[in-house]
Amino acid sequence: MATPVSVLRLPKGPDPNCRGFDPNSPRFIALCRTSIVTSAASETDAEQLPKEQHARSVLRESFLRCLLSMTNKKVRFHLHERVKVEATFGASDIDVLNFQVSDLHTPIGVQKEALIRCQDVISFTFEA
Amino acid sequence: MAMRQTPLTCSGHTRPVVDLAFSGITPYGYFLISACKDGKPMLRQGDTGDWIGTFLGHKGAVWGATLNTDATKAATAAADFTAKVWDAVSGDEVLTLAHKHIVKTVNFTQDSTCLLTGGNDKLLRLYDLINPEAAPLEIAGHTSAIKKALWCNNDKQILSASEDKTIRLWDRNSMQEVKTLTFNTTVSSMEYVPDGEVLVITYGKTIAFYNALSLDLIKTVEAPAPINSASLHPEKDFFVAGGEDFKLYKFDYSTKEELESYKGHFGPVHCVRFSPDGELYASGSEDGTLRLWQTAVGKTYGLWKCVLPEDMGAENSEQLYTSTPEIKA
Repeated sequence: MATPVSVLRLPKGPDPNCRGFDPNSPRFIALCRTSIVTSAASETDAEQLPKEQHARSVLRESFLRCLLSMTNKKVRFHLHERVKVEATFGASDIDVLNFQVSDLHTPIGVQKEALIRCQDVISFTFEA
Repeated sequence: MAMRQTPLTCSGHTRPVVDLAFSGITPYGYFLISACKDGKPMLRQGDTGDWIGTFLGHKGAVWGATLNTDATKAATAAADFTAKVWDAVSGDEVLTLAHKHIVKTVNFTQDSTCLLTGGNDKLLRLYDLINPEAAPLEIAGHTSAIKKALWCNNDKQILSASEDKTIRLWDRNSMQEVKTLTFNTTVSSMEYVPDGEVLVITYGKTIAFYNALSLDLIKTVEAPAPINSASLHPEKDFFVAGGEDFKLYKFDYSTKEELESYKGHFGPVHCVRFSPDGELYASGSEDGTLRLWQTAVGKTYGLWKCVLPEDMGAENSEQLYTSTPEIKA
């Protein structure tokens, strides 16, 4: 008598209240968040596209280098609701969703280790 | 100890599932889209069958559905005389392409810049997705409704199957017919395997394999019942088929031997496709469900877990289902 293969759980079915496409899924966050839409989406200018792509690469590289140079430095974060906090920067996660910081000075005390949610950050500054 | 196949049932549709397609393998895994007569095509995670979202917008039965390779776009063909292109990440409708009759089939080129459609107006249409306002290129020739149209030969050619009992190969640039295959009956399904240029066709109880470039016959295999759809494993060692007797059949491609048959669906099987990694195959049925089946029964993959005899009866905090409760359609 053959044993049926075990299953961890059944496939999840549809949510009756919404159409799905969870905006908090890693895929959605990674692929849907472009604040600057490419010009290819509206009109096509074949000459513009390589220039625009080059500019995007330059901006991205300088942003990544900025994150690198911030390691172990004191950084001041400007958050929503006019909140300013200061902390020692550790690292960013790969999708730039969270920053790992130490010694976070908040209005209600110092947090030894913390994660700052990037969507809460308006801007940040530090001495290079 | 022999293991018995446990299919995973994906419920959610309320009418027959008539078409399904997998995406390629993306950094987020691979995905599955199902076309249903309830007009609400669904996107699922390919290896688990978990529902991700439903594309809402069509006003009639959806006859065809496809995903582009990286699963960022979806396209659907419906009885409301439109084909629609969707953002497969957000679920938003991106484009509605009006046709003059029921649209049955949609297919993206590999770079997702062109969409091929076909339907009951007997015309093949090529839509430029970069300039969607431009009128589509039209290819005429079929004398009856088009059931399936696919890009082949690196998107340089098009294969179309029609109720006029022919399969035609067209050149994209010249828009001319290159070759025609004529059958005694309408072909029920067509699958194109780019690696090795193999075309899998089903008609009556026959599963036929052709060279997709020359349209030369490679071999035919007879099944025990009329077959509606078949799919060849990426490594070309097996193929699976399903049809009117509700069962899924697994055959050895080289020897043509029937290896296994599986009961499970409560209605005819309309479509069956292997996943891009070949580890499972999905079937869509008149009973309104999709079922996922393991290629290597008993292997740990997706939601299936290999439980060794020594582990049986041991303390296990994980709840394991040993038999899936059947959900009546």
